[in-house]
Amino acid sequence: MNGQIQSAFVDLQETRSFAMLTLDGRKWLLPQAEIQSLESTLDIDCEVRIPHSVGAVAFAGMWWPVYCLSSELRILPETPSGRRVCPLLNNGADRFGLVCDRVDALTEPPRLFALPACMALPDSPVQALALLEDELGCVTTTEHLAALLAAVVENIDA
Amino acid sequence: MPESTHRESVAWVLMLDSQLRAAVGERELVHLIEAPMLLEVPLSPSYCRQVLVWNNTVLPAMDVAAWLRGQPVQRQQTLAGVFAHQTRPGATPEYGALLLAGIPTRAPVADDQACALPKQPSGWRTLAVSCFKQGTQPIPILDLPYIFSSGLL
Repeated sequence: MNGQIQSAFVDLQETRSFAMLTLDGRKWLLPQAEIQSLESTLDIDCEVRIPHSVGAVAFAGMWWPVYCLSSELRILPETPSGRRVCPLLNNGADRFGLVCDRVDALTEPPRLFALPACMALPDSPVQALALLEDELGCVTTTEHLAALLAAVVENIDA
Repeated sequence: MPESTHRESVAWVLMLDSQLRAAVGERELVHLIEAPMLLEVPLSPSYCRQVLVWNNTVLPAMDVAAWLRGQPVQRQQTLAGVFAHQTRPGATPEYGALLLAGIPTRAPVADDQACALPKQPSGWRTLAVSCFKQGTQPIPILDLPYIFSSGLL
């Protein structure tokens, strides 16, 4: 594990509560504190769009761009019908919404495992793995999702 | 009387797919799982897309044959071997899994069986520390610490 990943992993291990975001059935875990608000997808204004977003939500006096990502975090141009909820993510530096199938709060902190070194591609948003009964959850943060969105948008536009 | 330099040890010969064979040291293979439950990890390398849960921990499931061939590999059955490796002498053992196409076999290996690595696939030079001949077939010996490091990324 390189130093940066190790430091992020230690931070995540100290996180007490996680939210579980489901994208096309895949579970993504995010520190609960980074979810500012939960909005309905009905509240997305599709006319207010920045490139590659699916719209925006008005919250706390500003527009929050909303993105739609596949289970593997690829940007989708349209929102699949199963997406019903839109958490607004905010880490103080990055603010955006993400349309999800569902969002659940985990009642207990999951046991986290470091992503094995041989699987940790540079710039991967997966910062750790969590065992959820028979399933695997991928742990990420708003910062890493924002970096991934920025990189993907840059690649699409290039 | 001069001491004999002829040494013999035991290796596990692994079927990586229907054709590729490799070996590890006798003590490196610690467990064999005949029907592994493999869990997908998105955004991971194509040759290491899954993990398995073993002894209450999560291990990468590395498909060495897929890495060597540069494409996905089909197997009639997929087994997973759990392997221990050390990044340096005296270090705590670390564990990882390799996807296999069959049950490993034990083979005695003597110094005089040493041979050159196969030329193809060319990736053997990256993955193997040595090679020995079993009959006419060269069997590369895997460098497990390197395989499970970030070196292949």
